[in-house]
Amino acid sequence: MIDVILQAFASIVLDPVTLGLMFVGTLAGILAGAIPGFTIAMGVILTLPFTFGMTAIQGLATMLGVFVGGFSGGLMSCMLTGIPGTPSSVATTFDGFPLVRSGRPGLALGLGLWSSFFGGMISAVILVALAPQLAFLGLEFGPWDYFSLIIFALTITVSLSGGNITKGLIAGLLGLFAATVGEDEINGVARFTFGFDDFKQGFAFLPVLIGLFAFSQLLTDVEDDKRAKSPLMSQSGTVVKVEHRQAILIILKRWVNLFRSSFIGIFTGILPAAGGSISNILAYDQAKKASPNRSNFGKGEYDGVIAPEAANNATAGGALIMMMALGIPGDIVTAVMLGALMIHNIIPGPTFIQDEPLLAYGVFIAFFVAHFFMVGLQAFSLRIFLLVTKIPMYVLASVILAYCAIGVFALHNIVFDIWVMFFFGVIGYFMKKLGFPLAPMILGVVLGKLAELNLARATGISDDMLLFISRPWSLFFLLMAVISVIFPFYQEAKKETLFAKLYVPVSMIVLSLPLFLMGSPVRMIVAVILVLTGAYFLYKRTSSLKIT
Amino acid sequence: MSINKDTIVAIFLLLFCGIMINSSFDIEDPGYQGMKASFWPTIVLCLLSVMSLVMLIKSMVSTTDNNLNSENTNSQNIFLKFKNASICFLMFILFLAFLDYLGMLIGGVLFVFGLLTLLGGFEIKKIINHSIISIITIGIMWSIFTFGLKVILPEGEILRIW
Repeated sequence: MIDVILQAFASIVLDPVTLGLMFVGTLAGILAGAIPGFTIAMGVILTLPFTFGMTAIQGLATMLGVFVGGFSGGLMSCMLTGIPGTPSSVATTFDGFPLVRSGRPGLALGLGLWSSFFGGMISAVILVALAPQLAFLGLEFGPWDYFSLIIFALTITVSLSGGNITKGLIAGLLGLFAATVGEDEINGVARFTFGFDDFKQGFAFLPVLIGLFAFSQLLTDVEDDKRAKSPLMSQSGTVVKVEHRQAILIILKRWVNLFRSSFIGIFTGILPAAGGSISNILAYDQAKKASPNRSNFGKGEYDGVIAPEAANNATAGGALIMMMALGIPGDIVTAVMLGALMIHNIIPGPTFIQDEPLLAYGVFIAFFVAHFFMVGLQAFSLRIFLLVTKIPMYVLASVILAYCAIGVFALHNIVFDIWVMFFFGVIGYFMKKLGFPLAPMILGVVLGKLAELNLARATGISDDMLLFISRPWSLFFLLMAVISVIFPFYQEAKKETLFAKLYVPVSMIVLSLPLFLMGSPVRMIVAVILVLTGAYFLYKRTSSLKIT
Repeated sequence: MSINKDTIVAIFLLLFCGIMINSSFDIEDPGYQGMKASFWPTIVLCLLSVMSLVMLIKSMVSTTDNNLNSENTNSQNIFLKFKNASICFLMFILFLAFLDYLGMLIGGVLFVFGLLTLLGGFEIKKIINHSIISIITIGIMWSIFTFGLKVILPEGEILRIW
């Protein structure tokens, strides 16, 4: 174990090429996170083509650099200009920008930077501790359980991606369908090829992803003629000296907030589809509720900067836990990383950490190291950021569109992949215009083949479809899927309605059933706690109902 | 009952599902044991059809959403709204259509220059800037992929003859 960790450490820290790639990756991530209209996911997706020629660990380390850098990049633009660079730094604007305007830009940046660092470090420790344990849990899964887990990952993506649930489900199903085109992996039979030989290989993951996400986003960015021609930011801020020492002291004094926010971030990251955009607001909200200086929030309160920044970086660790342990991507970024591993013929799953320990621990170490790069590069990237913000969006979009084409071609050296990217770019653009969320579709494409493979394995072992509901883990995930589909209706329902009052307690009681079926003492205890808590809430909420 | 954008999308999706379900009957059955190749796509398409039907019904019942006669849907607004996106589509199709002849280097430079000029404007100063940007950026990217990552990018017939 120690040998493996040392080897992994050497493959990252003692390899100047890997360190150099992480340096560039983190810098690119900070810039991608800082530029409004660009997202961290876009930064990671655009990095992927560069990783084809690298080893798996170099590729993943570079992408982790972009991932970690991206979360902290968002704080530069939101603090200096009041415009969040990414959705994951929205809540940082609430207190970060007022703090800058009150004449403390160096301290504001320092608080954001070091909160991101500490949040990331806490999540890295949890990642190292939890991922192998969760992977052991994953070894209990049969194909039925895996299939149900994928269904749950898709439904929760739909329910958390916001907007219309019907459209979300349609997007997810379209993604699953797109993954069926071409020769199927089980029988080798061509499907939906309509006589075109190129279709036989199916739609490769990368062109679909770049098309749906990056291509369609760039088209949206240049849509408004006036905005496309003006510089990325009208107020680009100025170079400031970060007050490191004071910021660290303030954060450490508020360690409860730091830990609470980091754990919120980790938990949100573990949930499929719930990324930094949700965790930063949740953490801010909790920090505000717990603070004795509640009235100072929104006016430059330190806790209001610490909470969202610690949470959004911790989310990265949480998302990695799911990917590393179960092979299920927590968000678009980890979906891309999963794709990167597949390009190197590595299929993540519960046995991934055991089968590829060097790579797995390499990822853990790269995640740690990326945070040091992030801190070290902030001052330097601030200067580049100020230069980049003077470029109009149409220039960036045109150049990146060409880069997308080159990058996609590099995957298999065939022009068909560029056509696929274009086709899905057009689909993605119009889907966005028509109010369809893209995240479920992307996850559908990524998980489609895996879902089919597990369904085939399950039906191959036994014809009994009831196994999907009689196996405890499968039942657990299917129940979670149903609960997640109902969740948006719960959010919309008025608090005093019977449905809103029953949703949480009934869900808790229902979820305890598969835990009871699992039989192990710890899970039985969890099940009893769930039942008791659910029953308590049920009693409390229904006792206030008036019978008419 | 009203007809709006969602109604049209739902009808389109139902048509799409119909065509694909029909096409799924043509999927060969090699006679192996286990799950047939058409089983999973048929499940997905059936669910998609059901969801599309739900969307159709919801859109027809809805009174607020995306009415087709609204101000935003007149032809001039639609043209202005999608002008830049259409330019990108068109330029990308041209780039792909001529990729075999021009190759990635020349085609890429022309694509970026064309797109920059069509989106940014035709003033002399801008045209000079656009040509410099397109040559430098594509040149760098082409060099990284060709020499750094050892990717053989399409050379194009023009360069081959030359």
